[in-house]
Amino acid sequence: MKNINWSTYSKPIILVAFIVILSVLKPAEFLSVGNAVSVLTSVAAIGIMVSGTIFVFLIGGIDLSIATLLSLSAVVAATVTTRMGGSTGAVLVGLLAALVVGAVAGLVHGYITTTFAIPAFLVTFATQSVFLGLAQVLSNNNKIACTWPAFAVLGKNVVPIIFMVIFALASWYVLRKTVFGRYVYAVGGNPTAAEISGINVKLVSIICYAISGFTTAMGGIILASQSQQADSALGSGFTNDVITAAVIGGISLLGGEGTLPGAIFGAVLMGLLNNGLSLMNVDSTQSGLVKGLVIVVAVAFDAMHHADQSRKKAKKVKKGPAAPELS
Amino acid sequence: MKRMNQTTMRRLISIGMLLILVALFAGLAGTGEGKFFNETNLIEIVRNASIPAIIGVGITFVIITAGIDLSTGSMLALVGMVMANIYVYTLWPIPIMIIVGLLVGLVCGLVNGFIVAKLNVPEFIGTLAMMLVYRGLTYIIAVKNDIGAIESVRMNHSQYAFLGEDFMFVGLYYVIIAMIIVVILGQIVLKYTRFGTNLYSVGASKKAATLSGIDVMKTRIIAYAVTGVTVAIGAIFMTAKLQSTTANLGTDFEFDPIAAAVVGGVALSGGSGDVIGTLIGALFMATLDNGVKMLDMNASYQYIVKGAIIIAVVIFDSLYKRRIDRRAKEEGAKEGLE
Amino acid sequence: MAGNTILEAKNIYKSFSGVPVLQDVHFEVKAGEVHSLMGENGAGKSTLIKIITGVYAKDDGQIYWEGKPVEINTYQDCQKLGVACIYQELSVIPPLTVAQNVFLGREPRKGPFIDYAKMNKMTQELIDKYQFPLKPTTVVDNLGIGQRQLIEILKGLSQDSKLLIMDEPTASLSGKEAEMLFKIIQTLRSEGVSIIYISHRLEEVYMLSDRLTILRDGKNAAVLEKQDIIPAKVIETMIGKVVDESAGSKKMLHSNDEAEVRLDVKGLTDKTDRYRDISFQVHRGEILGLGGLIGAGRTEVVRAIYGVDKAASGEVYLDGKKLDPSPKASILEGIGFVPEDRRNQGFIPLLSTTKNVALTNYDIVKVQKTAISDADELSMSKRAIEAIDIRPADPNKQVGVMSGGNQQKVVLGKWLMRDLKLLIVDEPTAGIDVGAKDEIYSILEDLAKQGVAIIVVTSDLQELLRVSHRILVMRKGDIVKEFKNVEVTQSMVLSAGQGVEEEAK
Repeated sequence: MKNINWSTYSKPIILVAFIVILSVLKPAEFLSVGNAVSVLTSVAAIGIMVSGTIFVFLIGGIDLSIATLLSLSAVVAATVTTRMGGSTGAVLVGLLAALVVGAVAGLVHGYITTTFAIPAFLVTFATQSVFLGLAQVLSNNNKIACTWPAFAVLGKNVVPIIFMVIFALASWYVLRKTVFGRYVYAVGGNPTAAEISGINVKLVSIICYAISGFTTAMGGIILASQSQQADSALGSGFTNDVITAAVIGGISLLGGEGTLPGAIFGAVLMGLLNNGLSLMNVDSTQSGLVKGLVIVVAVAFDAMHHADQSRKKAKKVKKGPAAPELS
Repeated sequence: MKRMNQTTMRRLISIGMLLILVALFAGLAGTGEGKFFNETNLIEIVRNASIPAIIGVGITFVIITAGIDLSTGSMLALVGMVMANIYVYTLWPIPIMIIVGLLVGLVCGLVNGFIVAKLNVPEFIGTLAMMLVYRGLTYIIAVKNDIGAIESVRMNHSQYAFLGEDFMFVGLYYVIIAMIIVVILGQIVLKYTRFGTNLYSVGASKKAATLSGIDVMKTRIIAYAVTGVTVAIGAIFMTAKLQSTTANLGTDFEFDPIAAAVVGGVALSGGSGDVIGTLIGALFMATLDNGVKMLDMNASYQYIVKGAIIIAVVIFDSLYKRRIDRRAKEEGAKEGLE
Repeated sequence: MAGNTILEAKNIYKSFSGVPVLQDVHFEVKAGEVHSLMGENGAGKSTLIKIITGVYAKDDGQIYWEGKPVEINTYQDCQKLGVACIYQELSVIPPLTVAQNVFLGREPRKGPFIDYAKMNKMTQELIDKYQFPLKPTTVVDNLGIGQRQLIEILKGLSQDSKLLIMDEPTASLSGKEAEMLFKIIQTLRSEGVSIIYISHRLEEVYMLSDRLTILRDGKNAAVLEKQDIIPAKVIETMIGKVVDESAGSKKMLHSNDEAEVRLDVKGLTDKTDRYRDISFQVHRGEILGLGGLIGAGRTEVVRAIYGVDKAASGEVYLDGKKLDPSPKASILEGIGFVPEDRRNQGFIPLLSTTKNVALTNYDIVKVQKTAISDADELSMSKRAIEAIDIRPADPNKQVGVMSGGNQQKVVLGKWLMRDLKLLIVDEPTAGIDVGAKDEIYSILEDLAKQGVAIIVVTSDLQELLRVSHRILVMRKGDIVKEFKNVEVTQSMVLSAGQGVEEEAK
């Protein structure tokens, strides 16, 4: 039992099984170069975003504002670029502005949740509304065309995939190699113990939210570039997709558990899932059913696993001679 | 000096917020015919607040147990679509259709309760996921036209559509009456029954509630079930008013009842607040919507202001609670010295 | 005065994951008596009470109620019999009123509705009867801890129980409130109500009890009648007459004042008065034991020294340098801290031994630019595993699934990788098997030999005597006694912690 680690092999198996099923069901459509590219490009935005939101999930937080922050960032990029005339320089300034907006939004999330001890879901639930409003005001409820060459190139062909690889590698490096990455896992796994170990839990958390905001903005830029336009509805549904990708990828929404390769796997599977469902003419609106069930089952499983551990812990406390309660 | 009761204090704050907002819009958008501050418009505001207030009663129950329900918008659509199916494809009488609608709400609520209380899935994740599930189901069962496209379903049978109207005299809408009944019932259950007391106990401390012999799991599940039923009531009045339903009915609607509860002083940490507070909150939100429209402001500002208000209120509540806790601790220390 | 046996627990056995906690325990309460239950931490008092109240299931044995065998599987079962348990402030619900709390789950009703008038009246009657300074309609949120405890007591009294179990009822009461409680206990006794009274405070037990059952190591040590309840004797019985004196009932303390002062604590005082004006010193190579009852403020003091919590006033000097109270600064200055609640504060359960050991040591692990050297991190973990024999010796093993003793070694191990000046350990061997305990003691002794100053907080008297060079005893937030270069026995320490002057001296 100990030697067979299901979680190591389950992911490739699921992935292969998925590809095989789709190839058998829809061989002509699924196994074409065009489709492969379309799967990959649709994976790219989710992959970029999950590379950053994983930090928030790892510390046991959540972000319900992904969809509208994504739209807001894209609208900011488009608006700034338009105002500045659309030159390559203007595009750069626009992108920078969008990324700053994303990071600042994340900082605000992190600051409010940690300083006032307000649950992250509530803060991001409220800010999603703020971001939506801001995106609508800024775009005047119009679609802004994003056809500047320097902007459009970001979403062309394999460029989004390259971005995804860069973001994923950077995220992997930080999580796997740096001291900060170690701290992230420690904070998510046991904030009290982390604090006692001299880690500034508040600071680590705020940085995690900022990273998440930053990558969400990047995801928005890529999406706007792919669709050559930005509006306040650009990100619709992406909150769910990113969370589902993370959950599929084995990231525990209870914190402290999960890896970047897992998250990227989740993003790829999400792309395949979306692609497969659309090839089988299942409306994207109906696929929410599947995603929702996946989340419930995965988190219920996590919760059971955690309850199991805390039961063990309860036993240990009981037998301990210095059990603090009632002794 | 006798300290003012925390609950009373919070109630005064939310009433104050509502009055200030009304006064503000009365000043900015004017009084009299066709303006903000006149009878017709004020009734309109109450009418618009009714559905969020009805659902808000259920949400209040859930939040008092320290839970949350993000799936009410989708649930609303699912209930509407089930009723639409009955309306279009069967000859069942309208009352049966309404009863089935209520049952669908009840079942959805029970499912949410089961996932959250029995499977121990964190409330916001479980209900977020169910938001997707209910929406997906709605699209799957959506009434489609000959070429398979989802369309808006007319539900204008006179036995049904009248629920969206007023009766006896102009402005006395059925939905307002329903809201008043649900709010009063909700408040009575909360304050005058054991179940109500249990809700507060569970929200304040699950451990203490268990020690006092309260069935925590059952209490939580029932709170979600109540929410399901209030959502169904909301769905009935909403579709009756629109005389139609669509698959994307209630999109983003989960925001409004929660916002109403938060503004009305129902603390998300559980154990405090009541239905009257949520009603005040719902009136506040409806006034905001209406006033912004009256001022011909971009409707988008509503989203910004709503979100900002929620954040401001929860930060206020958090700071306020911290002060109370500190005071209790200090007093405990003083008592220890005697 | 005392009548027939009302509750009897016979041959009770209970073990947790194979470790016996209660063995063949007998416990008997007569009608109308105050029966106290005492024992050191871990003697099995709480477990016995939890079996009686249906929180735990017993492994073997039988409980009799008024002579008839009964099965108590839930707390409700025990309530039905007429047993009420007063917890330490645990079951009070802050947003409810006093009356709502007292009658929670048993509210008088008119039809489906709670009859508030009647409930408030009933509560007022109870309040009048026992003369509590409470009002039925006050919301508990606005009350202090002592008053909340009174509500808890009122709740127990409201059930017209035949047997009341009071678990450390005076823990958060003021002197005046405690007096009130003692009077109530006497009234109840005269009304024929039986009371099981659990307390660490000997003077209360001495004053109130008709009989006293003492548990030791999960077994019956003695049942004393009122005239036999003599503090010195009780303490002796709790500790047990240890035949082999070297096993730690007695020890000659030696401490070396010549060695330079490492830690100097000056006038440390808490914000919420859990400790006040604490001053002491620890020398190089000295192991200072901090004894006293649970709740005496020891943990709070060491947490303030390390900087997890901030004290209201006072200063801490390490090797003459004033310390900045924060864990990070303390670690960099050479202080290590092993917290009392291992699982909740000590380690990250989901992470491996390697990452747990390295957590406080990234300032000394090799980092190339920004990348941690995995090899160096691993070698540190291997050194720790080697040095203190962590098992399994697998650096990648999740610490959460290891045994308690090995988890503690991981927590301790990370500090051994640094140059320590001071190590603070709080209940270092709680819930750890004997073998691992000895290993941990020898680690502490080795460290002391290398010149590290060590503070050991422990409620295990044997342990305190075994490892300490010098002992300070705390009681209710003050240091009340120092044992230095004298022969000390467990009962001397316990008496000091209890506030009882030992009569033998």
